[in-house]
Amino acid sequence: MMNLIWSVLFLTSFVYACFSGNLPAFADALSSSASDAVTFLIGLSGIMALWSGLMEIAERTGLIQRLSRFLLPLTAFLFPHVQDPDTISSIVMSFMANLFGAGNSSTVFALRTMEKLDAENHGNTEASNDMCTFAVVNMAFAPVFPVVLLQIRADMGSTDPYSVVLPALITSVCTVAASILACKILERRS
Amino acid sequence: MLHIISLITVGFIPAMAAVIIAYGLLRHAPVYDYFIEGARKGLETALDILPFLIGIFLAISCLTASGLLGLLNQVFHPLFQFLGIPPELLPLLFLRAVSGSGSMILVQNILETCGPDSYAGRVACVMSGGCETIIYVLALYFGVTGAKKTRHALKGGLIGYLTGVAVSLLICRIL
Repeated sequence: MMNLIWSVLFLTSFVYACFSGNLPAFADALSSSASDAVTFLIGLSGIMALWSGLMEIAERTGLIQRLSRFLLPLTAFLFPHVQDPDTISSIVMSFMANLFGAGNSSTVFALRTMEKLDAENHGNTEASNDMCTFAVVNMAFAPVFPVVLLQIRADMGSTDPYSVVLPALITSVCTVAASILACKILERRS
Repeated sequence: MLHIISLITVGFIPAMAAVIIAYGLLRHAPVYDYFIEGARKGLETALDILPFLIGIFLAISCLTASGLLGLLNQVFHPLFQFLGIPPELLPLLFLRAVSGSGSMILVQNILETCGPDSYAGRVACVMSGGCETIIYVLALYFGVTGAKKTRHALKGGLIGYLTGVAVSLLICRIL
């Protein structure tokens, strides 16, 4: 799938750049984007190492297994095939990090979870239903309190910066619900 | 109010770290050694995702630099006007699906031009708070797995995203 998306994005952009006279800008973007990605990752890798380290402690001391026992009923509905307590707690951790707006640290948990789900998929080249659900739900998640956004609104002289909190929450709930529903329906059709 | 909210949000992550370390100490575990081992694994993951990251960054900047994003905005402009959607939201709608952090700048632009309490300004805030990025997740998550056929992940993500867009447009009219 990514093969198609990526090449279509690139090639249509290139063709359009040729006709619109944006070819110089396109050429610049080509080289700068690659180094931008590396710069971005250098910033990200510190946080990733930190959380991966903390996760290792939580995993090896048994804290994660303990947590996951409480949350089993919740994940059992979303991921009916996941039995392994490590994977369940990993799923829960990444959802929590996402909800609290820990941004990049949630990526660490999510990637760990994907690796675990992949292992449970026994090297199949096709993604399992659980992998798809997990990815789609993560796309739909949003922080409960968008602090940065509220600050920007306050700075710009909004009469009520918080007026977006409730609508954002409702939108989030609808988005997550629609995503889960879409996954459950789509997985049956394929 | 904002102070309390940000305290909770800011405090949650450090508190989680403290609990993990304290629990480890109670169990007499070599927490520092575990931490170092885990951190090494984290760095390995970081290196693993770098190629995919370069791939997405490349696609995004090609899309914007070629002017194709601008063209898409022009093409969809009449449709949006017909639907009663503020056209200022257009670039945000497109970019949000591809990159989360990149679209934050667009939200700021909309708030500046339309005002934070305008309909467009509020929708922009709700949308950016309520819709996560599709392509980023797709590229990164399936970058680390052996399974490369993503099946319905893109479709499911798009359905969720469009729902988010529709709900945020509606809810800002009602509330």
